[in-house]
Amino acid sequence: MKIVLTPDWFLGFDVLIELFSFIVLVIFLISSIQNYRMNKNKKNFLYIGIGFGLIALAQLATILTKTVLYYDFNLIRQVGQAIITSNFVSSVDIFYYIGFFFYKFLTLVGFYIIYRLHSKRTYLGESLLFGYFILISALLSTEIYYLFHLTCLGILLLIMRNYYGIYKENHFLNTKILLIAFGILSLSQILFIFPNGALQATANIVELISYTLLLFLAIKIGKNGKKKKSDGDNIRYAGGNPSKRRKH
Amino acid sequence: MEIISDMLVAILQKGGSIKPTHLMYKANLSHNQMKGYLEELEKKNLIARNDNEKEAKEKVSIKITSNGRTFLIKYSEMKEFEKTFGL
Repeated sequence: MKIVLTPDWFLGFDVLIELFSFIVLVIFLISSIQNYRMNKNKKNFLYIGIGFGLIALAQLATILTKTVLYYDFNLIRQVGQAIITSNFVSSVDIFYYIGFFFYKFLTLVGFYIIYRLHSKRTYLGESLLFGYFILISALLSTEIYYLFHLTCLGILLLIMRNYYGIYKENHFLNTKILLIAFGILSLSQILFIFPNGALQATANIVELISYTLLLFLAIKIGKNGKKKKSDGDNIRYAGGNPSKRRKH
Repeated sequence: MEIISDMLVAILQKGGSIKPTHLMYKANLSHNQMKGYLEELEKKNLIARNDNEKEAKEKVSIKITSNGRTFLIKYSEMKEFEKTFGL
């Protein structure tokens, strides 16, 4: 059975795309943690940071696994030979399966956390059930590869529904960009479902577009934060009208 | 946190230096509230009282420090992030 469905001509590029995604996710992780350190009363900064952090870890797991799989490092070769001489050939496969399992499991948990942020009520039973399905789909994905992408697509659609609701309320361009980025990411998951080399490569490129948009958003958030108000010399969000807000 | 940002912005709007009475009015705070916040801001090195004018009470002015300016930028970035993700 093929461990990776990426076509041969695209091998290596997929790792680069995942490395790029990892960097973007780490930027959001750092940003979230910095915001949480600034305002510790707002736990949602921490939770969204954990969500991005887990997805970043997932990307790291797949980067490491694929790097070992694609490139013949001496150390790995020695380990592989040692395993082969011991007649435990399947142990090498187990390494890949464990690596990809962590990629799938952490990705799903990360997206689930981002989805749960906007849920009004959290029932422990419901979260446990979701956790169980996430675990099952990550485990079974080694045999039924598209199960992971289907589950990921489901959670991404739920995230999109949440952000669509937020966008309807705030009409904020950044939220719209976020919504589009998650939409493109969902599209990549649809493409990943099909076991066709060209479609797998296309899915990777679509994923790259999505993360590029997220990087653009991260830069925009940083730049807008420093922007000055049109009517004065104070920065964008600070200030406002204190007399309307404060009661003595 | 909002109050702190309002106070710093009020100082910034006055060119980086403001009299305490003006700040109290601009940030819409009572005398006791402002006293507490000023102590906190000074402790965090976000503002500084003008040393030369300390002797004459009516001439005391409060200045925003570079830390205060950095705080305002970070606060604004945090708000942008918060609004984007609907947190």
